[in-house]
Amino acid sequence: MKKRTIYSCLLAFVLMLQSPITFAQTSEDWTQFRGAARSGISTESIADSQMSDPAPELIWKKKIGCAFSEITTSGDKLYTMLSEKTDSLSGWEYMAAFDAQTGKEIWRNKVDSIFIDKDGFGDGPRSTPLIGENTIFSFSSYGKLTAHAKTDGKQLWQVDFMKEFGSKLPRWGFSSSPVQVDGILIMEAGGTESRAFVAFDQNTGKLLWAKGKGNASYCSPLVAEIDGQTQIIFANQKTLSSYNSKGETLWTYAMKMNAPTAMPTLVDANKIFISTVRSSGFEIVEVKNNMLSEVLQAPTMKNDYSSTIYYKGHFYGFNVAALQCISAETGEKKWTKRGFGKGSLILVGDKLLVLSDKGQLIQIKADPTAYSEQRRFQAIEGKSWTAPSFVKGKLYLRNQTEMACYKFN
Amino acid sequence: MNKKIYQLILVCLSLCLPSLLMAENVETIIAKHIEAHGGLKKWNQVETMKITGRFTAFSIEKEYMAWKTRSGQYYADFQLGQHRVIEAFDGKKGWTIDPWQEISYARRINSGEENVFAQKAEFTSPFFNYKEKGHQVEFIGKEKLERLDVFVLKLTRSNGKIEKWYLDANTYLEYKCESKWVDFASEMPSETFFDDFRTVDGLVMPFFIERTFWQRDRVIQIEDVEINPGFDQNWLIMPKREEIKKLAFMQGNWNVKIEAFTRRGTWRPMGQTRSVIDFSDTNILQEKIKLEPDLPRNMTINYTYNEAKGKYRISILDDLSSTFEVFEGDFSDQDFIFDNSVEKEETYTQFSISDRMANSFILMKKVSHDQGKTWQQNSRFTYTRCE
Repeated sequence: MKKRTIYSCLLAFVLMLQSPITFAQTSEDWTQFRGAARSGISTESIADSQMSDPAPELIWKKKIGCAFSEITTSGDKLYTMLSEKTDSLSGWEYMAAFDAQTGKEIWRNKVDSIFIDKDGFGDGPRSTPLIGENTIFSFSSYGKLTAHAKTDGKQLWQVDFMKEFGSKLPRWGFSSSPVQVDGILIMEAGGTESRAFVAFDQNTGKLLWAKGKGNASYCSPLVAEIDGQTQIIFANQKTLSSYNSKGETLWTYAMKMNAPTAMPTLVDANKIFISTVRSSGFEIVEVKNNMLSEVLQAPTMKNDYSSTIYYKGHFYGFNVAALQCISAETGEKKWTKRGFGKGSLILVGDKLLVLSDKGQLIQIKADPTAYSEQRRFQAIEGKSWTAPSFVKGKLYLRNQTEMACYKFN
Repeated sequence: MNKKIYQLILVCLSLCLPSLLMAENVETIIAKHIEAHGGLKKWNQVETMKITGRFTAFSIEKEYMAWKTRSGQYYADFQLGQHRVIEAFDGKKGWTIDPWQEISYARRINSGEENVFAQKAEFTSPFFNYKEKGHQVEFIGKEKLERLDVFVLKLTRSNGKIEKWYLDANTYLEYKCESKWVDFASEMPSETFFDDFRTVDGLVMPFFIERTFWQRDRVIQIEDVEINPGFDQNWLIMPKREEIKKLAFMQGNWNVKIEAFTRRGTWRPMGQTRSVIDFSDTNILQEKIKLEPDLPRNMTINYTYNEAKGKYRISILDDLSSTFEVFEGDFSDQDFIFDNSVEKEETYTQFSISDRMANSFILMKKVSHDQGKTWQQNSRFTYTRCE
């Protein structure tokens, strides 16, 4: 009897210890492009769902000015960029904050003139803001990097890349999203005179270092901890290059592709997946002691502007306009699903949340054995090229005309 | 000896057998494919077809309409992103108005586009009456494609272009096609996927067609199919450029009376000549006129429109002196006036076309020695339509 009580107590204790690990969801803010780790992965989880289940609860939905910026979060606020036209040819780009509970705008700050896309793909900012402890960093389509006070959006400092670095305006506007490493703000600038990649004092905007050659691209840098050092990895034109926060070049690599738009994806701590739609496929390179070697090259994943997710030995991403799962080891196609156009995706726990290019949200189990759709609903209306964000059980999404919040858990 | 002959026949037969079986397989597969589409009898009753639906490009879904005929004619009017696109094809040649190429008027299509328009002109699958169309088909084999068993057929079109078709081995309906497509008139490989097969008047057709080429993704979602509607042959006539159409009153064969302006302020007859004015293209009106002020010379005058400047541009080539002059101008009320001030010559020359009637008009030549501040009349050409 006594033994049984002891065993019961032990079991209860073990369960108690385990419960926070097993059931609680760790939640971190979506503080930058592709989330806290720039991987497109949320550490939270989503319950399985049946196709017959109703759509998740819509918390709010509202109109928003045109932009491609993702929604970033910090505490009870959302931050994103938007634009508004004053007439058919002019207007402004803004950095704005919203109440996460209601979607109500809290503040906005004018950062630059509006970028109007003559091809009609969409006006306004392309880059996703970075949320620091007290400061927010935004990057306009005309290349103005602005630091804002987190409380009211007030401009603290601004650097005009075209003026300061001679950066050339890309056809569809400056698009790269900022990163912060060791308290230093790092950007792709595409400047002249070896000022392709630049670092700033985040408090003053003072230039700390400038390195590399290349024009401004549409690709955002990856940050990875490889061989015990934090590396900022840029895929620019035909070169993949890595720097530490001091601006020292760690390595460069001649890619077998040109000008990727999708952000590189980190694989198994020291491999980098790069892909572009205008090439023969993707490439995986391994970094060992700052030396690079190609691990795999295959035609099965050609990313356009949507970045690929790596999860448990497999890649999930858009091969042009087909959602696809492929083996990270062999590149072998595991499954393909069409009908989402050139959508975007994130991973929450073991579920992929795919936003179709027409605003449908599809929940899919990240399972290489089969395409397993669990839920589908029309989340927002219209052309949707911005990947969603997921924080504290809520999905935040936007497109060029509206943004919305859905409660999942 | 007989034994040897038999052995030889046996060897020949055994060599030929696989290809005989293969040929049979192609025919069997295509027969079942056509049957799956509703049967040849039904399809042979289709003379024309109108397709209405939605077309998605750049993730923007817009209207789509296409008409096709049994003889391979095709006309489509659809919205590609923010621009309206028109395509027309008579089965061999065609034209398009595609503002994405920064050409707002109709232009002829190139050979790569002709191949694409031929693909678009198919009612649905190219295998109907493929021999009559001059196509060749070869059975490649059976394989797995995205977990689906498929028959792979190699289609060589009558134009020599090769396509690879993947037919679902269970339904015999098309699943995928690899063919040459075009982007900005440049040829490139494409993949097309067919889905959502529905029956219309006993004809089975894919209502969802997704095509990717290079980085492009295009989707046609059919909403309605009309069998044997009218097909207006006028749709296939390449339209003239709007701005050049305004000069159409000049088209024809003309008698031209030439007069020179004298110092006394009178018009002195200088003789007669003939002029032929016709559209050399949809955006060029060309005049050929023989003049003999002293030595005989043939003048070729091209009337075009410069969109960037928003003005007409006229070039005059004199075959005797090999001189080439450029003029610019526009309509001013009813008159059409152009001068060579763009060439910054010492003496400016101006032409104006006025007094327009159904069978006549007057071309007046003036000169200026003060950069166009004042103009003096020089000569007059009175055009009268030939009977």
